[in-house]
Amino acid sequence: MSLGIRDILNKPRLLPGTSACPGCPENIALKSISMALGENAVFIVVAGCSSIIQGMGPKSTYNYPVLNIAFAAGPAAAAGMAKAFKMRNKNIKPVVWAGDGGTADIGFASLSGAAERNDNILYICVDNEAYMNTGGHRSGSTPFGAKTASTPGGKRENKKDLPLIMMAHHIPYVATASVGYLHDLMEKVKKARNIEGFTYIQVLTPDPYGWMFDPSKTAEVGKLAVQTCYWPLIEYENGKLTISQESMHCLDRRTRKPIEEFLKIQGRYKGVSPEIIKGLEEYIDKMWERIKSIYEGKVIL
Amino acid sequence: MISKVISGNEAVALGVKLSRVKVIAIYPITPQTYIIEELAAMRDKGELDAEVIRVESEHSAMAAVYGAASAGVRVYTATASQGLLYMHEMIWWVAGSRIPIVMTVGTRAVGAPWNIWNEHTDFMSERDSGWIMAFASTPQEALDLTIQAFKISEDERVFLPMMVGMDGFILSHTKTRVYIPSQEEVDSFLPPRKQPYVLDPEDPVDIGNMFQPIDYMKFRHSMHLAMLNSKEVIKEIGKEYEKKVVPVGSYSSLNESYKLDDAEYALVSMGAWSLDAMQVVDELRNMGVKIGLYRIRYVRPWDEEDIKRKLGDKDGILVLDRSVSFGRGGHLYLELKATLPDVNIKGVVTGLGGVAINKDAISSLTKKFIEGKTDGEWFYPSEVEKVELRNPRYIK
Ligand code: SF4
Repeated sequence: MSLGIRDILNKPRLLPGTSACPGCPENIALKSISMALGENAVFIVVAGCSSIIQGMGPKSTYNYPVLNIAFAAGPAAAAGMAKAFKMRNKNIKPVVWAGDGGTADIGFASLSGAAERNDNILYICVDNEAYMNTGGHRSGSTPFGAKTASTPGGKRENKKDLPLIMMAHHIPYVATASVGYLHDLMEKVKKARNIEGFTYIQVLTPDPYGWMFDPSKTAEVGKLAVQTCYWPLIEYENGKLTISQESMHCLDRRTRKPIEEFLKIQGRYKGVSPEIIKGLEEYIDKMWERIKSIYEGKVIL
Repeated sequence: MISKVISGNEAVALGVKLSRVKVIAIYPITPQTYIIEELAAMRDKGELDAEVIRVESEHSAMAAVYGAASAGVRVYTATASQGLLYMHEMIWWVAGSRIPIVMTVGTRAVGAPWNIWNEHTDFMSERDSGWIMAFASTPQEALDLTIQAFKISEDERVFLPMMVGMDGFILSHTKTRVYIPSQEEVDSFLPPRKQPYVLDPEDPVDIGNMFQPIDYMKFRHSMHLAMLNSKEVIKEIGKEYEKKVVPVGSYSSLNESYKLDDAEYALVSMGAWSLDAMQVVDELRNMGVKIGLYRIRYVRPWDEEDIKRKLGDKDGILVLDRSVSFGRGGHLYLELKATLPDVNIKGVVTGLGGVAINKDAISSLTKKFIEGKTDGEWFYPSEVEKVELRNPRYIK
């Protein structure tokens, strides 16, 4: 399939000179997402790294109109914006750009409210699994066992299963993606862009600083997360769950790459006990059991 | 223009409708709920050409109207009490973006303990947020100020959001005769929306991104100047409103004076009880006391010059406050003290949490003050010994 990349590359939506760290996954995600989104979009950037990456006002490295906003307010602001564009007869898509903290924790009520109302917005959660902008503290999306600035001994709770929670809101479209697989990400964004109603995409964005790996390896870590089945690539559309080609092997435990390959490339799990690794494996097994039962139609959400 | 007997809440809803608002965020909280119910009903009946968003919290209500306003349409929401406090973060965000927005606050006490009745502490706690803040004293004024608020807020010398306060229950639920302008009258007064920043891919601008300290401070200074500028704008727009829309009120000044010219003493008040205070002034005048009333209609901007002119020569001023800054006193009392440091000013904090303050109570407070039987600042009624806490205990 042709994405017409050559054509869209000529209209960069992420200008040079961002304030991102080298190897920043959010930069990668934004660049590819904007290619799939096209021009008629407005970004609502919820407090986080992306509030800083755009650079010092009044200049900006995002070649989109941007409303920067307080942590818990993104989906509601986007909902208001969608209604305003409707009243003005404009086909402009409000796109919320939020981290995992803004999504899983402080902004969750607002997210759930907009999903329940099926407001016509695209919500993108860039999930780097911690509050990276404030120094790498645990969030509701940090996985079991990961060391963060506020869980130096490793997190004791599992990652909040946001994609499934969003599916249970019965919105038209939910998907997961990874910066390791950009074509997949772009296709999903293209699809969501054209759906009327609330659409949600959660992109795994491995962070070289919080996860402690070499900045040249961002995409590789994003790939390993999928190959080891730590991070599923799925889509949920009109009540039906599909598994992206890259994740099909995860349905069978025996064809998954061992989790150690994903863990040993990063510093978050350095020196952790075998029990923690076992705990994380159990989480992954259970997650795939859930996905499988929805996929096979045994569980209807 | 027609006249009808309606409540403050109904009057505000009509004002919003006549202002041709395009997006309204609604979330219920007593005592303003009737406004948003009324607007939702108007929308359902096809009388209101606006989108109504039923949000899940007040924080989201302010965020939703902020998003809609930044996308270029006229917006509205209403709240009270805990709801206003829950919105607090977004209230600052809106002002700091210089985005025109109008909101009603049906004032109410803030918990704990739970209390649904009227006081002004919720309203006054937003004093420093950069919003223009007007306070109505009648349902008529609530309607008039709401319509004017859109024009004031959207004036290019201002571009600050505006909230209109209204005493919970006392105005929100009480029906009086209100003159309701026609759509044509309001249209002749209120032009289509203008705003400095609009989010549109045609002209990509950013709102609210990181600013260098010096740019941030410049921006803050611009808000301060806009607030000062708004004084002239409010008077201008007020006069125009009297001429084109409802000729029954008087809006050529920010605040109102009653029998102040030859007065030796003055009462200062804000909101519905000002009408009771006017009766007290009449009563005391009949007894030979030279007293007048100064009614605060605008908390922000603060009309310093007018207050100095009208009250600077008085022998004594009594300020009635329905709000309190703990350990410091009533908000209006503190503002007055700062404006007139050399005048003999006393203040009373009263009517908190819906304590009924009628004409008689104001009359006896005023007499006590004139007889010189008062301290600088006191509570009325003051029965603090009845709310002793339990004996403290050590926790094992
Ligand atoms: S901390 Fe991570 S997400 Fe934030 S700018 Fe740096 S690399 Fe990007």
